[in-house]
Amino acid sequence: MAPSGVIRPSMGAVIGSCRSAQLAGGAPLRLATRATTAARPSHLTSQRAAALSTTASLLKRHKYEGARKTRDNNKHRGESAVRRTGARWRTSVDSEPLPKPVPRDELPAVETDPNHGLWDFFFDRETVAQPPTRDAAHGRAWMVEELRHKSWDDLHRLWWVCVKERNRIATANWERNKSELGFGDVESAERDRQVRITMRGIKHTLTERFNAWEDARKLAETDPEIDLSGGENGTIYTPAEYLEEETFDETETLAAEESEEKAATEAQPAAPKATATLDPAELPTSSKPEGAAPRL
Amino acid sequence: MQPTRILQGMRYRKLRLTTKDVNKGFYKGTGTGTIGRHTKHGGYVIDWTKVRTYVCPSLEGFKLTPFVTKNIQKVHGQYEDGQGPRSPALYLSRWKVENGLD
Repeated sequence: MAPSGVIRPSMGAVIGSCRSAQLAGGAPLRLATRATTAARPSHLTSQRAAALSTTASLLKRHKYEGARKTRDNNKHRGESAVRRTGARWRTSVDSEPLPKPVPRDELPAVETDPNHGLWDFFFDRETVAQPPTRDAAHGRAWMVEELRHKSWDDLHRLWWVCVKERNRIATANWERNKSELGFGDVESAERDRQVRITMRGIKHTLTERFNAWEDARKLAETDPEIDLSGGENGTIYTPAEYLEEETFDETETLAAEESEEKAATEAQPAAPKATATLDPAELPTSSKPEGAAPRL
Repeated sequence: MQPTRILQGMRYRKLRLTTKDVNKGFYKGTGTGTIGRHTKHGGYVIDWTKVRTYVCPSLEGFKLTPFVTKNIQKVHGQYEDGQGPRSPALYLSRWKVENGLD
């Protein structure tokens, strides 16, 4: 409860002038209040406004000069399918009409190569899989004994024939599974099994032939008739009895260049003599096949 | 605690071996082999000497099929010397008959 004189001298002067004005009349009082309001600094005004306003801009954290903008990361804010607001931005639309698909009848025919290798994956051109009756119509697999008489080339080609057959069977299996036909699996599996037995026989034959060749080479080192180092005139094999009986033929057989053709013709009649005790059918084929001569 | 039913008894032996059945270091693979090596940066370098090449001979005019007609009786080889078809002596005698030069 301090008296007005205790207040600051400046304020006291203002209050004092007000009092003196009040004593003089009513109108000057209003003018004086207006003058004091206008004379107030601007920051005092904004403080009073802030107390009443709740705008978002004043709730911003960074209010200084050059502060970053608060971005809304949601691109689709305000879009609603229920309220049918549509997109917030105009979407790009091509003015050209959409292409219409060509009907299948009007499409040009697909040209395929009739001799393409992929045709080998099918049993025929019309059907994707054979009927089970045709699948079951196959013979037995090759016996190993039958394959022993075949040359390397024949076995090589037969192997690839088997591979192709298995490809065909696998394609038919796949098609049958795809269309869920529900039959033909047993016949197909049996056919495949026979092919695999043949392929096993081919591997058996070739392994056996190689092992026999390896051992025969070791045996040839101890054979008096065979000179693996080549000997004189490059002759590896000199048959003992042959030299004794027909000496005049020796020069011809020793000529390595000519002898290849002649040897083939002479050896064949000589074959029954040398293998009198052995059946030729039982002999394993050498790396140089017997059947190669007529084929080539 | 007991193993699951499929692992009980001898049936387990009929299951395919997995990495869980053996100690570490077991590599199952698919039997396909490699065609190169991995680099330390995660790439792969193809070694063309390891890439498989399959040579299919020309099958033109080749008349053999994977099957033999059932009308032909099965034949088994008969070998008197007891060494069977891989006898080196048999091979050598045949080679002499054919007068092989190599």
